[in-house]
Amino acid sequence: MSDGKAFNIDLGRLKSREKDSSPQAMEKAERAGEELGFVPRDGQKRRGRKPSPRTGQVHAKVLPGISDEIANEAKRRGVQQGVIIEEAWAMYKNKSGI
Amino acid sequence: MPTVVIASPKGGAGKSTAAIILGTELAYAGADVVMLDCDPNHSLTLWAARGAVPDRIRVLSNVTESDIVKTIKQYDTDGQIVVVDLEGVASRLVSRAISQADLVITPMRATTLDATIGVRALQLIAEEEEALDRKIPHAVVFTMTKAIRSKQHSGIAESLAGQGVDLINPPLMERAAFSALFEFGGNLRNMPAQGNMDGAIENAAQFAQAVYKRLTEGV
Repeated sequence: MSDGKAFNIDLGRLKSREKDSSPQAMEKAERAGEELGFVPRDGQKRRGRKPSPRTGQVHAKVLPGISDEIANEAKRRGVQQGVIIEEAWAMYKNKSGI
Repeated sequence: MPTVVIASPKGGAGKSTAAIILGTELAYAGADVVMLDCDPNHSLTLWAARGAVPDRIRVLSNVTESDIVKTIKQYDTDGQIVVVDLEGVASRLVSRAISQADLVITPMRATTLDATIGVRALQLIAEEEEALDRKIPHAVVFTMTKAIRSKQHSGIAESLAGQGVDLINPPLMERAAFSALFEFGGNLRNMPAQGNMDGAIENAAQFAQAVYKRLTEGV
């Protein structure tokens, strides 16, 4: 099997050349492409609400008045009830030194 | 250093094979090569994962329409050659890559269907040259050719040459070793023997040299 170099590269002869990548140039190139059917094909961003990172669950029964208060406070602030519980837990940890 | 864009809207024309042959041969000859895998099929990435990536080669995966220009700019510097492997569709990604090319190579099987679809890349280059007011050197390389040239091959070659299209000589022949790059990774010189290895290496080296000549001397 041949393992000799077929040719050598003279790195000095390979120069980077300036190419226009301004928004105006890109727009011209893209317009030229679109006329020939070279159109955007990258997947579009997903529409709608992003999935919540809150995937954990607690299974707590509380007194009726407390559940109403938590629900009302969450509604007032425009957050999920879990956010109130997270804050309460953070305060508890802080207080208890956990 | 120059950016070489491998472009054809036709799938299965041999773009990724041509990109790997070019990249590995240029690296073997002494150049630092950055290969951009813009194909959602991840052909270059699959090749890179199959074996040790040869010295002086870096493969960047998942380059998309939104970051192709920025990525080319980042690596198109003195000291390395950028080889861009594109997806076989007509897309804005192709337009953007061509706008940053120092040389566009369109691989084409010597069939009427490949030629008909491949010519769309040449049309796009012509349109971009006009829009950007700069010459974009480009050439066609026939791929998967047979030892005995078919009439169809000769007819297509004559037609392209008659229209002033630069044809890279030699074409890339149909060789077991070229296909085996995706089985073993690496380059032609370190893979287990596949068919006529000397012939494959000679073909690959001459192809890379023809591209190098175009990069240094212009078309």
